[in-house]
Amino acid sequence: MPQFTPGKSKIGENRRKFMDKSKKLDKLRDISEEDVVRLLAHRAPGEEYKSIHPPIAEMEEPECAVREMVEPTEGAKAGDRIRYVQFTDSMQFAPTTPRMRPLMWYNRHRGIDVGVLSGRTIMEGRERDIEAIAKEYLDNETYDTARSGLRGRSVHGHSLRLDPNGIMFDALRRWAYDERAGVVKYVKDMVGGAMDKEVTLGKPLPEDDLKKRTTMFRNAQGGVWMEGDDPEVADVISEIHWNRTCGGFQPFTKRADIKGNKDVGVKFKPYTPRGGVE
Amino acid sequence: MAEKVDLYDDRGNKLVGDVPLAAISPLRNPAIKKICSLVTRSAAVNLAGLETRIKTGALAGKEMVIRGKTMNLDIVGKASAIASEMKDMLSVDGAAARVEPIMGGKRILVEVPAERILADYSAARTNTMAALTQAVMDVCNVDMWHADIVKGGVWGGYPQDPDMTGTVVATLVDVPIRNEGPGYALRNIPVNHVAATVRKRAMPGAALSMILEESACYEMGDAMGPFERGHLLDLAYEGLNANNMLYSLIKENGKDGTLADVTYSLVEKAKADGVIKAKTKLGSGYTVFGTDDLQMWNAYASAGMLAAVMVNCAALRAGQSVPSNIMYFNELVEHETGLPGVDYGKAQGASVASSFFSHSIYGGGGPGVFHGNHIVTRHAKGQFIPCFCAAMCIDADTLYFTPSRTSGLYGEVLGAIPEFAEPMKAVAEGAKKVM
Repeated sequence: MPQFTPGKSKIGENRRKFMDKSKKLDKLRDISEEDVVRLLAHRAPGEEYKSIHPPIAEMEEPECAVREMVEPTEGAKAGDRIRYVQFTDSMQFAPTTPRMRPLMWYNRHRGIDVGVLSGRTIMEGRERDIEAIAKEYLDNETYDTARSGLRGRSVHGHSLRLDPNGIMFDALRRWAYDERAGVVKYVKDMVGGAMDKEVTLGKPLPEDDLKKRTTMFRNAQGGVWMEGDDPEVADVISEIHWNRTCGGFQPFTKRADIKGNKDVGVKFKPYTPRGGVE
Repeated sequence: MAEKVDLYDDRGNKLVGDVPLAAISPLRNPAIKKICSLVTRSAAVNLAGLETRIKTGALAGKEMVIRGKTMNLDIVGKASAIASEMKDMLSVDGAAARVEPIMGGKRILVEVPAERILADYSAARTNTMAALTQAVMDVCNVDMWHADIVKGGVWGGYPQDPDMTGTVVATLVDVPIRNEGPGYALRNIPVNHVAATVRKRAMPGAALSMILEESACYEMGDAMGPFERGHLLDLAYEGLNANNMLYSLIKENGKDGTLADVTYSLVEKAKADGVIKAKTKLGSGYTVFGTDDLQMWNAYASAGMLAAVMVNCAALRAGQSVPSNIMYFNELVEHETGLPGVDYGKAQGASVASSFFSHSIYGGGGPGVFHGNHIVTRHAKGQFIPCFCAAMCIDADTLYFTPSRTSGLYGEVLGAIPEFAEPMKAVAEGAKKVM
């Protein structure tokens, strides 16, 4: 059984939950498949999938042992186009962080290509696979309607202040907040284009619920401070650092024999006080 | 390096057992020596291209046209005579050059004898060019007043441009000025050429790619003294399916496994084989692992990385995810154990920029045109580029730069040489001779 990642705190626990595919993630809403297609804007709802090559079964694949051992995904089997879905996660305690998404997705899904750039995470893959995964991660607890965003371009906002309703900034105003019903709707698609119909995503999670679900260490605004509150995470990172350094120097020498070797859990004095500097 | 491994082929069949690491060294293994030698000595001549250039005056390619500098020469029609004269000129006493017209005389394959290379491997290219120039002039009766047209057509922009832009002679290794640093010649071969050569079979592709990368590490001075064992272990476990580990990892996870499943299988294997051991248990129950043999751990991690790339890319039947797969295999393996990722963090580091450069975020590259001789790929030494080659082998033509598009000629010509077509078997056979 893998141990995934260290951490004694709730953050460590949440991270391990997100990464462990034997654990089901809570489903918070149910966006219809048609609405997911509408939001992604790769094809019109009901439109056939386009393909970039014939179905694998009809192709003459080389006599390659790896291909024979590895089953293609449904989208790859059909020869679907490569398409993407992209999320932005606010550093104001969004349930997941950009860095956690690939760790979670590479544990739970196959045949994907994930990249992280500052506040956003993109996943590319075969079109029907991407649609299924997009639905799952719009519906489940890794997405909050106020602190997470489905953003194909102009993704920024993850590090900005929230609006008075606690919603992450979006330069393209893809979302609208219905104050009476207290729900977030998408009025534009993922890339900011027009949609034939609005898509209601639902109510944002309460602040304390977000803090319970988040996978983010943050030494500010009531967050969990990694160095102060859950030092074993920093200890493991420092251990990886020392192993890289010693391996880069002389991988044939035992670490214990290298002068200046430090063991796991070197204590250091944090420069930032509790609560951070704001 | 008396340590021994068993070598297996890409289908899990044992090729040879108890091979001492020294027997797969590029300095000793005859198959690896032959591969490296042929790579540096082989050239492909585009005769049809030369005929067109001379006819249109586009002497150094499309944008380098000199009006009036044109001739109508039947170069393709006289390919046999040109090849025959080139062979006479390139051969050295008993060592015959191989000069064969192919594709109805549109191309000529050249293998320059090793005797021609005294110090610089560029001799293969310069001698082929010089022989071609002279042979065309002789066979087509070109006089002094038109000699410059033939020379310009063959040599392209040389000498103004030492890179010889627009030349009709292609070699697998590029000119030395294109190398990122000393010893990089064998790293300067795009993975698509290698993928085309092995007919897009992922495991032999990775093997051939790794043979070239690791041989370059010897030439770069990176496999010196106690560092050599690390390189040979990496080559054995990642490139040559030592102890059938690479195959087993893929087989175990091929049907429904994810990239992370391959990572955890690898960690379990390392624990079971005693390569890593529990070091400290932390408060949450998390165990930090340690090892007394970082080089062996690196070889295990390298095999795991390639297996992870193969499983994810083959599920996608596309090669584009290779940099991301490298990054997150390493990220996951580090967080699972506390041990370093492949090449002590350098594979992961190189994968960051590789993602950037292979996803059209920065210009129009693609994993197929990557090689180990580049600022974003060169830092991980040996283990990194074979993953790209495997990914391009598996790709179902979803990318712009496919092996058939960029490297068809290399595939046809080199794929016919057994050491290139079946590198795993060739190295195993070679090892038997020096064990």
